Amino acid sequence: MWRIGYVPEDLREQELVSVGGVTRRGALKALGAGVGGFALWPYLSDEGARAFARIQQSQAPPTLRFLTPAQYKDLDALAEAIIPADRHSPGARAARVADYIDLLLSESDEETQATWTDGLSEVDRLSRERFQASFALLNAAQTTELLTEMSKHERDPQSGLEKFFKTTKEATVRGYYTSEIGIHKELGYKGNQHLPEFVGCKTVDGEPCPHCGQKP
Amino acid sequence: MEETRKLASSIHPGSGAWDVIIVGSGAAGGMAAFQLATAGVKVLLLEAGRMIDGQKEYRTMEWPYASLRRGRLPEGERPIAVAEYNMYDRPYGNHPEFAPYKKLMSYAGSTFTRNWVVNEKEHPTTGTPFAWVRARILGGKTNFWGRGALRYGPLEFKAASHDGYDVDWPISYEDVKPYYDRVDELLGCSGTKEGLMQVPDGIFQRPSKLNCVEVHFKRAIAKLDRHYIPGRAGVTTDGVLSKYRARCMGRGRCGRGCDLNASFHSPTALIYPARDSGHLTVRPQSIVSEVLFDEATNKAAGVRVIDGVSRDVMDFKARVVILGAGALESTRILLNSRSRRYPNGLGNSSGVLGCYLSEHLMGIGGSGYIPIRKGTAPTLDDGRPVAPYVPRFRNLTDRHPRFIRGYHFQGGGGCAEYPAMAHEIEGFGSAFKEQVREWYPAPISLGGFGEVLPRKENRVLLDPEVKDAWGIPVLRFDYRFGDNEMKMVEDMAEQIEEMLTVAGAENIQVRREPLPPGWSIHEIGTARMGEDPKTSVTDKFCRLHDVSNVYLADAAPFVSGGTQNTTWSILAMCWRTMDFLKEEMKRGDI
Repeated sequence: MWRIGYVPEDLREQELVSVGGVTRRGALKALGAGVGGFALWPYLSDEGARAFARIQQSQAPPTLRFLTPAQYKDLDALAEAIIPADRHSPGARAARVADYIDLLLSESDEETQATWTDGLSEVDRLSRERFQASFALLNAAQTTELLTEMSKHERDPQSGLEKFFKTTKEATVRGYYTSEIGIHKELGYKGNQHLPEFVGCKTVDGEPCPHCGQKP
Repeated sequence: MEETRKLASSIHPGSGAWDVIIVGSGAAGGMAAFQLATAGVKVLLLEAGRMIDGQKEYRTMEWPYASLRRGRLPEGERPIAVAEYNMYDRPYGNHPEFAPYKKLMSYAGSTFTRNWVVNEKEHPTTGTPFAWVRARILGGKTNFWGRGALRYGPLEFKAASHDGYDVDWPISYEDVKPYYDRVDELLGCSGTKEGLMQVPDGIFQRPSKLNCVEVHFKRAIAKLDRHYIPGRAGVTTDGVLSKYRARCMGRGRCGRGCDLNASFHSPTALIYPARDSGHLTVRPQSIVSEVLFDEATNKAAGVRVIDGVSRDVMDFKARVVILGAGALESTRILLNSRSRRYPNGLGNSSGVLGCYLSEHLMGIGGSGYIPIRKGTAPTLDDGRPVAPYVPRFRNLTDRHPRFIRGYHFQGGGGCAEYPAMAHEIEGFGSAFKEQVREWYPAPISLGGFGEVLPRKENRVLLDPEVKDAWGIPVLRFDYRFGDNEMKMVEDMAEQIEEMLTVAGAENIQVRREPLPPGWSIHEIGTARMGEDPKTSVTDKFCRLHDVSNVYLADAAPFVSGGTQNTTWSILAMCWRTMDFLKEEMKRGDI
């Protein structure tokens, strides 16, 4: 018998009903549940959300909730290497992406937490093996060397490190492009303001469009 | 909640006298209340959930960096249902992987609309899976609906005459057209006149223009003889006469509830004005378990209510009962209204109550990037209530060899708050950032809505054992997509791929898997209308054949639903039904 209302954990033990060729598991998988771990991440509590808003607004030092200071430094360096500050805009460090991941991990299940702690120790091991230093202390060339290896099979990651790169990148992309820096400084998103009218493509008004070059 | 409790406890049997009881406060209940109360009829409106103050609860303009929930809601908060729904709210749900689920995500797995939908653990269903979205709150799902305001046309009302399948509606487009017109004028509808027979024009306010990638797509698919037109939205863009509503200000983010009330939401558009007439009483926390039946007169006597807070059971009496709880919920109430005379449920002497459940099949769609916007400066592309749409193009004048009826595609593109394409771009570093910026204005994505054929065997029954948290039997679903739908799915996938190809889109991705049943939230039928009481539940004025003082105001009487979103038809049909009821009351027939 099928019943809606089970939490994901219960679903795994459910007999999965096929719906027009899609199993429930298939539907879950399509969502990344249990795949990247993201769909199983908790929402932040109100307090957590407010705390993060404050973290982003201020230049205050991190208040770690889950990661150790060493793990935080490595993760911060990793996120910054994925989305760095450049001439165009500040990067993941300024957007406090590592703080955001720490906050989420503090409200995550053990499985998700383990994914990250294991991944970070893999990165640490590789970094010390090759350069006798923690990841956070590597120079730009060394960082690039390691990331190039870790991202080799980004579409279909094989090794633990490759999978961890993808997990970290997903989280970094989310954290960065939902931050004030990502939305406004990097992308220059124009929405969420009161406007007398939605403009659209100028060709709609019978003029050549400066944005896309289409003629009326 | 406090206000809700006070209000509920102040209203009890004997605290007033009402001519009409309305169950539900969404599009159907709201319109019924508005039509009757403003005509001086004493109305008691029963809402199963709490009151809502949109000014406080709609968080329309909150930036994501001020609200960072993802995945699961905190303990004690309610996402919508099982894990599939338990998803990121916009903009997090814009990852291409999640695109097909966006609608529900932005509805109910969302930070912005949390605790508006029922807790599925208290409201289980049994049988085949069905994603049944229920919002027990004043205004119901209109607080976060998708705003698609499309009319059924001759092709829907006379579908059987067109292709020989099933039966026509007992009424025609001409019967309903004046009511669609009135709904457009009362509530405001944004759109463009196109002169298309498959989706009749309305009385439109300023449309949502197409942005650059969409203009390109429109011109491309015109070569295939396909239209791509501004979406039609139940949103006032030029304003309407109402002290509760302001016009659209192009902010986007409409699915969280519009705090300007430019979008149609039942409380501000219908219920508050109805209450201002002095003839409407709203009682929240009122869970209706059954319609009371008087054997002596063969009429409904009122309804039985379980108070959602105190759990007190009380019977409210009235001359007329109108069910507008949503097609499936209204049918559930009728099935549960068992008497000696109607042991299988009130209005079910035909045995077809619960049968012919229909909706729209979703999940098939495609996405890609339109090269002309590659590397251009960002523009505002999403500050509007609705994306454009490709009206139905199958089985209009020709006959498709593999399936009957049709489907449409909705969707658009351009710059959005969250750059979903970033998840598709490989690499890291400045080069990665740059590539995200380059592609940011270029994506386009469309999703299909296909008609599910009304079939007698697609039905709901009361579960003989399982009850909800209030002891009311839950619905058991027996509902599956059939052969016609599956053939249609193949064609939908082929056609969206072809359209994106013709548009020169890069990196085309096509989703070919349907989403689970119920995903469209466009459920119709289960108490279908017809001339013959042996094969239908209501007459053409949505009144039960069996009992002359019970009306259905929602989509339960609908015979078939084409590809169009349902809400505008619920509003128009309900207005028509209320006009009929008012005439009956004037004549003293009821």
